[in-house]
Amino acid sequence: MSDTSNFQPRIAAFLCNWCSYGAADLAGVSRLQYPPLVQTIRIPCTGRMSPKFILQAFRKGVDGVWVSG
Amino acid sequence: MKNILEYVGIEPDRLHFSWISSAEAEKFQKTATQVCEAVRALGPAQHMIKDIRKVA
Amino acid sequence: MDIQGEEGDFKVKVVSHPRYIDMAKCIACGACAEKCPKKVPNEYNEKLDKRKAAYVQYAQAVPLKYAIDEPNCIYLQKGKCKACEKFCPTGAVDFEQKEVEREMQVGSVIVSAGFKAFDPTGYSAYEYARFPNVVTALEFERILAASGPWMGHLVRPGDEAAPKRIAFLQCVGSRDMNTCDHPYCSSVCCMYALKEATIAMEHAHGGLDVSIFFMDMRTTGKDFERYYEKAKKQGVEFIRSRVHTIAEKPDKGLRIEYATEKGEIKIDEYDMVVLSHGLEVAPETIELAKKLDIELTSSAFTASDSFSPVATSRPGIYVCGALNGPKDIPYSVMEASAAACAAAGKLSAARGSLVKHKEVPKALDVAGDTPRIGVFVCSCGINIAGVVDVEAVAEYARSLPYVSFVTNNLFTCSQDTQDKMAEVIKEQNLNRVVVAACTPRTHEPLFQETLQAAGLNKYLFDMANIRNQDSWVHAGEPEKATEKAKDLVRMAIAKAALLQPLQEVRLSVNPAALVIGGGIAGMNAALNLAQQGFETHLLERDTQLGGNARLIRSTAQGEDVASYLKDLTAKLEAQDGLQIHLGAAIKDVDGFVGNFKTTLAADGAEKTIEHGVTIIAIGASEYKPAEYAYGQHPKVMTHLEMDAAFMNGELDPARIKNAVFIQCVGSREPERPYCSKVCCTHSVESAIHIKDHNPDAQVVILYRDMRTFGERELLYKEARSKGVLFMRYDVENKPRVAAEGDKLIVTATDHVLGRDIVIEADVVGLASAIVSHRAEDLAQMFKVPLDEDGWFLEAHQKLRPVDFATDGVFMCGLAHYPKPIEEAVAQAQAAVSRAVTVLSRKEMYLSGTVAVIDQSKCVGCGVCWTVCPYQAISEDEKGLAVVNEALCKGCGTCVASCRSGAPNLKGFTTQDVMAQIEALL
Repeated sequence: MSDTSNFQPRIAAFLCNWCSYGAADLAGVSRLQYPPLVQTIRIPCTGRMSPKFILQAFRKGVDGVWVSG
Repeated sequence: MKNILEYVGIEPDRLHFSWISSAEAEKFQKTATQVCEAVRALGPAQHMIKDIRKVA
Repeated sequence: MDIQGEEGDFKVKVVSHPRYIDMAKCIACGACAEKCPKKVPNEYNEKLDKRKAAYVQYAQAVPLKYAIDEPNCIYLQKGKCKACEKFCPTGAVDFEQKEVEREMQVGSVIVSAGFKAFDPTGYSAYEYARFPNVVTALEFERILAASGPWMGHLVRPGDEAAPKRIAFLQCVGSRDMNTCDHPYCSSVCCMYALKEATIAMEHAHGGLDVSIFFMDMRTTGKDFERYYEKAKKQGVEFIRSRVHTIAEKPDKGLRIEYATEKGEIKIDEYDMVVLSHGLEVAPETIELAKKLDIELTSSAFTASDSFSPVATSRPGIYVCGALNGPKDIPYSVMEASAAACAAAGKLSAARGSLVKHKEVPKALDVAGDTPRIGVFVCSCGINIAGVVDVEAVAEYARSLPYVSFVTNNLFTCSQDTQDKMAEVIKEQNLNRVVVAACTPRTHEPLFQETLQAAGLNKYLFDMANIRNQDSWVHAGEPEKATEKAKDLVRMAIAKAALLQPLQEVRLSVNPAALVIGGGIAGMNAALNLAQQGFETHLLERDTQLGGNARLIRSTAQGEDVASYLKDLTAKLEAQDGLQIHLGAAIKDVDGFVGNFKTTLAADGAEKTIEHGVTIIAIGASEYKPAEYAYGQHPKVMTHLEMDAAFMNGELDPARIKNAVFIQCVGSREPERPYCSKVCCTHSVESAIHIKDHNPDAQVVILYRDMRTFGERELLYKEARSKGVLFMRYDVENKPRVAAEGDKLIVTATDHVLGRDIVIEADVVGLASAIVSHRAEDLAQMFKVPLDEDGWFLEAHQKLRPVDFATDGVFMCGLAHYPKPIEEAVAQAQAAVSRAVTVLSRKEMYLSGTVAVIDQSKCVGCGVCWTVCPYQAISEDEKGLAVVNEALCKGCGTCVASCRSGAPNLKGFTTQDVMAQIEALL
């Protein structure tokens, strides 16, 4: 991977409804900008997070996974 | 978890964990940006994906 | 504003000031603020930065609606501008709004006008007004905040340089008669200074030294002492001294001169000084109190007696929060519930009489039907459409499987669009709905209501967050934002296709309560519940009511506890619908919120009580000291023993010549690292009691920190003026007590002189700790947790201070943490208030998002019932897991933990999440 500057990775974000998902909403209200590479999947609680989801996401070809509670 | 990933040939740095409370918008922005940069630096994921990706 | 009438029938006139924004139309897009040309100092950030005249006070404001600040609006002052009106996409700006006077007829009034932070401008020695790098603690709070003027970067306001050394000065505007006439302690400043100090150090990642200059560290609340110890370990320096003056250096740093405890003069230099300013009642609140005709104390807080802590001097008017004495958030929230209980108490006959019920049509059965998904893409004015190509997103959605209807709306959440949506659902025979708009956290309930109105189960719904998490945060990259919106919509549709209707479990509620523990807290809880018309059982393991209060002489305000207890007991005995079970113990508990079944053993017989809620008020006990010659001499007494001896005449205060009190006996020790909160005040009360009967008596109080918080500080002051001697000791160098024959010899090291002082005492009072019962059995039976010290652990220390995470179980009194009587009574009322939220419903619906176990896959390994944080999973008679839907909160931890894939979480099934992952790329 010599040239990574134009590379647009795809990242799956598993966000807890009560914590990080709320922070993501608030980031919107505050218009805080970040790269449009993150696709959010809302989960009720990080307790719901299963390693299966992470593996499946990679199997589907995402470049990164972010789990945030 | 990162060990499993390494075992199947995925760089551990492709997986990120964080804890952000619902009031920490700025931390969310920072973390999102960091995660994107970290993954971008690794380049496209090479393993566990179908060949079609390499062709494309 | 004006108030007329009396308890049960008040007429209140209120004035609503115009906000010049129609709340129904405002979508909080912020265009008005962006276009408004007028900048105004931002009160929310303590005027450290600017806002506009069209503004929303802070990002999390509820409701999130803008307002126009009349005195600062150019149009309203000079008649020209109206930029906001021109740019508002929904026409919400309305300059025609006028002041509206309204009259309300109410039975009770609750005043919660709060406090004002002390303004140190007039405090000339600290030069707050002149030196830019002397800030108040509230300003510092905003500096540290992510939503603050520097986005959470720790800088000093003078030059925006990062400070390396910060000093906090405590008691600015508190415990001070000379500069501000505030003799009371503000109660909260020690803790917030600790919090700000530790957070600042964390922000600085090691490059910051913090010193706190204080007189007494008052960390009396639950877990506060631990916090203090943690701050010490983290490196916060604590200097016991009151600073006289601050001087500014040429580099705008500050020089502090102070005297140590031993009297040496020292000079230290800091980059920034934070003044821990106290709480006071605002002049306009004092005016309000006059209008309401309620009495205030000499410190201008509302006057209330310890046994009815949230009642004002005027019947029917109640009070809560810092106006009722300086206090922190947990206490304020708790008092708010208490005031609600007191205010509702006499009105309980009218409960529900103004409630309107809504008719919901029966949901159609769509299970098994092919999904027909309706997709509603919202423009949100220009909030989404300004960045994302909503037409393209809608077009794309049409191409996806199972989608049978797509439309684009300007404002999907508006009432007319909602009506249309309901029609479309029926017309198009839709059985799943996806809305691509803002966030489900605020709008999901609204759309679900529309689904229900259209006859669809509300769980057949999903949202794609293309505003908060797309258009707003990727404003500079419209193409990518549009692509992301398509992705999000695709994922939502993939999930929607799999959604199944969920049934919300209906529970009947048994309108009866069980109160465990017949001390002051339990008695008050039981009485209030029964007075509100609920069948109540009060259980006490002893053969009489009263608990610890039977041994207490007086409250901090000097009220007689014994006579109060007598009255209260008589009231309880006469109360209809209240059953008292004395000498009773709990054998077994079954059931859950709304439907508990508790088996009691009393008088050798067992009986079963059915109840909808439980209040735990089991109290605590007094630590029996192993130190200070306790047990070796009859005149070495704990507080309760001394009070009992005063009351029964064994100890005559007039005949005491030499008394010594020793503080922190068993508290703030490694095995009990908490403050027992009441003992400093108790010693001061007893000392004054002795001095009042024998002014010549020598009374010495040996203490570590005097913790006479709030208006108790006035007692401390009174004791000193009456000649009580206060001598501080260090925990490393404790006083020693020796019984020599009849005599008691107390030896303590004087800090100022640095040598031992020997006192011969007739009586030694030990301020011994309050110790929890560590009631593990009870905790297990009701599925509620205890903390490390054995206190019952609330659901949330600040937001739900008397609730448990387990529904239908509440707590009050010493079982929660040591506290004085007025706080225990308020907590009892608060627990009643919370309990009534359950009891006043005939039935309750539980969320449909609950776990379910596929028993054909379950092997009964027990992992799920061990990991379940709500103890909602148990083992059935076959040894397999089964979910109690009444206890399940839908967190999904069981699903993630199971190796055989037996549990699943309705609404967030593994298949749902997998479908979203599948649709991700």
